Amino acid sequence: MIQIFNLYKTYKGNTQALIDISLEIKSGEFVFLTGQSGAGKSTLLKILYSWENFDKGQILINGINIAKIREDNQYTLRRKIGVVFQDYRLLPRKTVFENISFAQEAVESPSERIRFKTWEALKKVGLTQKKDSFPLQLAGGEQQRVAIARALVNSPEILLADEPTGNLDPEIALEILKLFEHANSQGVTVIFATHSAEMLKARDYRVINLGKGRLISTK
Amino acid sequence: MKLLTRAFRIAFSNIKSSIDVCAVSVITIMVAFSILELFLLVFANLNSLVETWNKQVQLIVYLDDSVSKKDQSTLENLIANNKNVQATSFVSKGQAWTDFKKTFSDKAAILNSLGFNPLPASLRLQFSYSSDRLKAIQKFAKTLEAQNGVESVEYGKSWILKFETFLAFLRLFLLAVGGLLIVGLILIISNTIKLSIYSRKEEIQLMALLGARPNFIKWPFLMEGMLQALVGALLSLGVIKIVYLYMKVQFQDSMASLFRGIYIQFIPDSFAIYILAGSLFSGWLGSYISINRFLKSELK
Repeated sequence: MIQIFNLYKTYKGNTQALIDISLEIKSGEFVFLTGQSGAGKSTLLKILYSWENFDKGQILINGINIAKIREDNQYTLRRKIGVVFQDYRLLPRKTVFENISFAQEAVESPSERIRFKTWEALKKVGLTQKKDSFPLQLAGGEQQRVAIARALVNSPEILLADEPTGNLDPEIALEILKLFEHANSQGVTVIFATHSAEMLKARDYRVINLGKGRLISTK
Repeated sequence: MKLLTRAFRIAFSNIKSSIDVCAVSVITIMVAFSILELFLLVFANLNSLVETWNKQVQLIVYLDDSVSKKDQSTLENLIANNKNVQATSFVSKGQAWTDFKKTFSDKAAILNSLGFNPLPASLRLQFSYSSDRLKAIQKFAKTLEAQNGVESVEYGKSWILKFETFLAFLRLFLLAVGGLLIVGLILIISNTIKLSIYSRKEEIQLMALLGARPNFIKWPFLMEGMLQALVGALLSLGVIKIVYLYMKVQFQDSMASLFRGIYIQFIPDSFAIYILAGSLFSGWLGSYISINRFLKSELK
C-alpha cells in the first residue's frame, strides 16, 4: 500500500511542483495518474522511487517511511519498484536480451537464473524472436515492450509508468496497456501516468487527477 | 569476492573501450612517479654513502710530543674501559711520517728538505656500530681532549653533521615532492575516471534506478582508477630500473674508486612497495571522488 500525506515539493527557482498532496493506493490496485504537462505527475513518480527528495509531508510504502531510508539503502526500495518511461531508456549498445539481463545483473541475481528469467520475460511481452536485435532496430512499441520486460523481470511489487504510451499509436498503446494489466493481474500495483483521454476512457480504473501540483480529484 | 571479480571485469572492459584516454592517464602517472623515484634513487644512494662513511669514522687522538709514559698509560686505560671502543691502534710519530711520505711520494723532495718530523704520534679508535654512535664519539672526544698529553682529537664531525643535515633536508624535500605528486595524481585519475563515468552515464543511472547497491556501481570505477595508477607506477619502476642500470654501467667504476666499497644501488624494496601502495591509494581516492560526486549530483 502507498500512503501519501501532505506532500510538498519545490524545485530550485521556487517552482512549486507538488502542493499538499494526500492520497492512498491499495496493494494490487491499478490507477491512472493524469493531468496536464507540468501538473506534477513525473515529480510524484520520481519521489516514489526515491529519485527526487521532497520538502514536506510523509510517504509510506508498505508501512515504511521512505524519507527515513538512508541514501545508501535506497536501493532496497528501488528493488521493489519497476519503472517504465516514455522514452524507454534502453541501452543502445546492448541487445534486447542483454538489456533485460542487465536489470538482473544490477540486483546481483545468480547468473544461472538470469538466462531463464530473461527468456520468461521476453515470452511475456512476445519478443523472443527479437532477442538479438538492438533497441534502435525495433519499432517504438517493441522498444516499450522491452522496457516493460526489464521493469518486470525482477518481480517488483509496484510498477510505475511515466507516460509509457506517449510516443505510440493508439492501437499499440492499448497493447502496451494490456501488458500492464497482465502484471496487475499477477498482484503488481500499477500507477500509470498518462494525459491521453482515449486511454482513460478505454478503462474504468481509478483516476488520480493533478493540476498545477495540486490534487484535483481521485475517483 | 563476486563483487570484486565483476568490478575487475568491467574495469578491464572500460579500459579497453577507452584505451586512448587511459593511455594518456597511465603515461602521466608514470612520468609523475618516475620523477619521485629519481629523487628516491639519489636519496637511497646518498643515504647508503653516509652510512658507509659513518661505519668508517674513527676517533684520532693526537698526542703531545712531550707526553709522559704515565699520561699515555692513563689515556690507554681510559680508552680500554670505554665499552663503545671496538679496537685501538697506536701510530708512532715515525710511523705517521713514513705513511705520510708514502702517500705523497711525488712530493718526496719537498718533504725530505723539511729536515724534521712535524707529525705527532696518535691513537686511532674504532667504535662499535650503534644508532647513537656519533654521540658516543662526540662525548668521548670531549673527555679525551681534557686529558694531559693530548694535543687534539679529530673525528670529522663537522662534515658528517653537515651531510646528515643535508640528508634530513632531502628526506623532507622528498616527502613534500611525494605529497604534491600524490595530490596531482589524484586529480589526474579523478579526471580520467570522470570521462569514463560520463561515457557510461545512462548505464549508471539505470543501474541505480533498477536497485543496484552503491558499491556495485562504484567498484568498477574504483578498480579502473587503481588499475591505471598501478600500471603507471609499475612502468615508472621499470623506467627507473633502466636509469639505474645505465648509471651503474657508466659510473660504478669511478664511484668505487672514489669511495672505497660504495656500489650504486636500486631503490630499496620497501620504498618500491610504498610507491605501489601509494599508487593504489591515489587511484582509489581519485576514482572515489569522481564517482561519489557523480552519484550525489546526478541521482538527486
